[in-house]
Amino acid sequence: MIASVIAGAAIITPIIIVLLKSLTTGKLGASVGLTVANYLRVFGDRDILPLLNNSILYAAGSAVLGTGLGGVLAWIVARTNTPGKALVELMPLYPILMPPIMKNIAWILLLAPKSGILNNMLRDFFGVEGQIFNAFSMAGMVWVFGLACVPLGYLFLLPVFLSFDPSLEESAYIAGSRPVHTTFRITFPLAVPAFLSALVLNFLRGLRSFETPVLQGTPGNINVFVSRVYDSMALEFNTGLATAYSVVLVVMSVITLFFYIRATRFSERYATITGKGYKVKVLDIGPWKYVTFLAVFVYFLVGIAIPFVVLIVVSMIPYFDYETFMTFPSNMVLYNYYKVMKHPSFITGLYNSLVLSIVIALSTVLAGIVMAFTIYRTKTYGAKVFEFIGTLPLAFPPLVLSVGLVIVFLGTPLYNSLWALGIGLFVAYFPYAFRNASGSIVNIHKELDEAAWVHGAKWRHVFFKITLPILKPSVGGALFYIFIEAIRNVDVAVLLTSPGHEYGPVTLFEYFRVGQWAEAAAGGVIYLLILIVAVSIAKFAFNLKFSL
Amino acid sequence: MKKPIRMVRASLILATILVWQGGQAAEKPTKDAAPKAAPKAASNATANAAKAFDAVSKELYPKAKQEGNLIIYSVWDVEHLRGVTDAFMKRYPGIKATYWQGRNPEIVTRVLTELQGAQSSVDVILSDNAPPVIRAAGGIMPYDTVQRDVLVLHDPTLPTVSLQIQALSYNTKKIKPADLPKSWEDVANPKFKGQVALDDPMRAGPLSSMLAGLSEQWKDEARFNNFVKGLKALNVPVHKSTSAMFRLVISGEYAICMPALLHDVFEEKGKGTPVDYIKTVPPVVFPRQAGIYAKAPHPNAAKLFAEWAISTEGQQVIDSVGRESSRNDFKSKTSIESAFPKGTKPVPVTDKLFLEDPKKWLDTNVKPIWEG
Repeated sequence: MIASVIAGAAIITPIIIVLLKSLTTGKLGASVGLTVANYLRVFGDRDILPLLNNSILYAAGSAVLGTGLGGVLAWIVARTNTPGKALVELMPLYPILMPPIMKNIAWILLLAPKSGILNNMLRDFFGVEGQIFNAFSMAGMVWVFGLACVPLGYLFLLPVFLSFDPSLEESAYIAGSRPVHTTFRITFPLAVPAFLSALVLNFLRGLRSFETPVLQGTPGNINVFVSRVYDSMALEFNTGLATAYSVVLVVMSVITLFFYIRATRFSERYATITGKGYKVKVLDIGPWKYVTFLAVFVYFLVGIAIPFVVLIVVSMIPYFDYETFMTFPSNMVLYNYYKVMKHPSFITGLYNSLVLSIVIALSTVLAGIVMAFTIYRTKTYGAKVFEFIGTLPLAFPPLVLSVGLVIVFLGTPLYNSLWALGIGLFVAYFPYAFRNASGSIVNIHKELDEAAWVHGAKWRHVFFKITLPILKPSVGGALFYIFIEAIRNVDVAVLLTSPGHEYGPVTLFEYFRVGQWAEAAAGGVIYLLILIVAVSIAKFAFNLKFSL
Repeated sequence: MKKPIRMVRASLILATILVWQGGQAAEKPTKDAAPKAAPKAASNATANAAKAFDAVSKELYPKAKQEGNLIIYSVWDVEHLRGVTDAFMKRYPGIKATYWQGRNPEIVTRVLTELQGAQSSVDVILSDNAPPVIRAAGGIMPYDTVQRDVLVLHDPTLPTVSLQIQALSYNTKKIKPADLPKSWEDVANPKFKGQVALDDPMRAGPLSSMLAGLSEQWKDEARFNNFVKGLKALNVPVHKSTSAMFRLVISGEYAICMPALLHDVFEEKGKGTPVDYIKTVPPVVFPRQAGIYAKAPHPNAAKLFAEWAISTEGQQVIDSVGRESSRNDFKSKTSIESAFPKGTKPVPVTDKLFLEDPKKWLDTNVKPIWEG
């Protein structure tokens, strides 16, 4: 309980400050009394409904695509006899490693209506005139952000599929059900809590995501709600108004969470790990196993291989247009890599981001499990409040959240230190760890705990000897996911970095923001190669499993 | 307490002097044009500025050395910042210069949050849009450079160390020279529909500052309204990122970039990228300033940095990293007299309201036409 309170306090403090800001009319630099003027402006905004409509369409489309695809991949990896097991397990993981902004750049270069590689290839090789693909459309946005949502769905659902009580499926087989029926009527429904957790997270990520709407939506005249938040900051420098707009996102998040909690309120129904012992049954899907292998491979291609190849080529040509791209490698240059390696902050930023990301992954995952355990496994009064607090940071656009954090740290020794950045990242990523732990704990039947309670065990024995070991699969996935997300974070980190305390992804993003896409691509390739090597070493040399 | 500050600020702004040194001998831009000595016509001002800089440098350096540090928040690329701060530290041993880089909204948010929290954590805000906004909130310590007579754009409270020069740029593979627009206004011609990459006029970006500059120069409401309406009638998407928009022009998605930054065009041209700019269209110029923070922990180091950056020596460093000079006696490939034909009258952006509250200016002057 104490640990949950500490984690909750770290999260709620900047959020309260942000909410108080929404009740001041004053721009930054001017102090005035409390007022609701910002809210009157927000609800008097005639564009609010069309913007919300676009936001919901974009966030829901991406969440459904990403979580659904992630779930299917997790099922293929965990429950089928798809050939090339080691490869199949790794292929869905690699796309996580690519920084989202790099994916945006790569897909814009691939799908741009006039200059895009795919439209030009269709014209040159198949004589197809016209613009078949359009990166600057709602479909293009959903495609790119949906692909970015896949890893979260995959990592949330993989442990669930790997830890099923086989007796449930065996009963279905005994009753004469075929494997396909069993999968759809037994297996998938049992994964509902984890699926909903991932869906909710991906939906909330979509609601507040900014890069894809700016880079792909704005050129297509598709504006989303969060752009109002950023306009309030970028044009008016009015954090009060920005936070008032953010409160609309908070309300939407609360509504989403309400439906999620209602959908999973009889959590015992979904318990797949009981006290009876289990061993996962792998389905023999016959010749379909080649189709499932192909499905994983296709995802690997679109998730990382194709955008990665585009980035490599872009980083090695003098400039990007279709003709120059197609002339590669005869026009190959390496000066972009030279420039990146000479960048004043590249190495120190990379080191800081590696160290901090490891610390953040470990601390958020541990705190997330403790909080989820407090909520679902103890009878502590008011514990359910933490469910709300633990998810709340997701509702805030990162720039708004980091303003709250800056205010919290001002005047303390933490300001302008790596500690401030660390706490900021903790607040930003705690919801992922918490929701991941919640989905997994719900899947563990209470009878395991109850058996321990009956034998006189204290809560710590139940937590450390029963819950934590059973959670191992999801802990691996969450650690991996948060490490990767933190090592790529830009939007929370940007206000919390300080002179002399660089952060790798922010350094990399500088290239992008000043329009040096080739240098950004070169930096992205270096970053990605380091991460691929690290993950591969962890997987093969140390046999570290991200799923089990 | 606030009222006197506002009055002082207002009087300082009213006293803003715009110094245009036109009619200097223009040279054709050459690929590797190096900074050259001041032309004879401006030699007096140049000599006076050099003397004044020497004197102020001798006065400030011992105090700055005692302070020991200089902290800069800037929108400039880190490589540029590194180049500039390294040269400064070499010139003035004993002062350690560090920097933090962010976008304008991030810089303003951070500085004003620090100001409210009485935090003394920055000395110099080196940027274009940010310093006037911070000044309007009372976050700038007014400082008038001793080298004011050689500046293209002079503000008595914010030393101008470089210029943002906007040019009308295009993709040489996508549009023939004969078909190019003849002026900024000509871009609104319906024949360019589908070819123009347009910056969002409703954000504090290059297009809105251009509109502020043109509005001030034309002083013709009907002409201004027609121009904005014409841009709207192109019915092209607007972009919130100038750099991403410029990339899309280079890639061939669009033919014309409305607008591009001159130093970006020169950098890309140097790589052989198929972009150029229309030399007969007058550039829009916006000051890049080194504003001194009101609660600067190292005010003498901040003043010394601003003076050094404006000096010929500092301008050579700024030019070497690819940024435009703020002096009228300093020629480089990106200076107006080198990059544009002789007699070109640039369009300065000096509208007080736009500089200090871009949202208010846009709501008053552009929104009714753009959304009307």
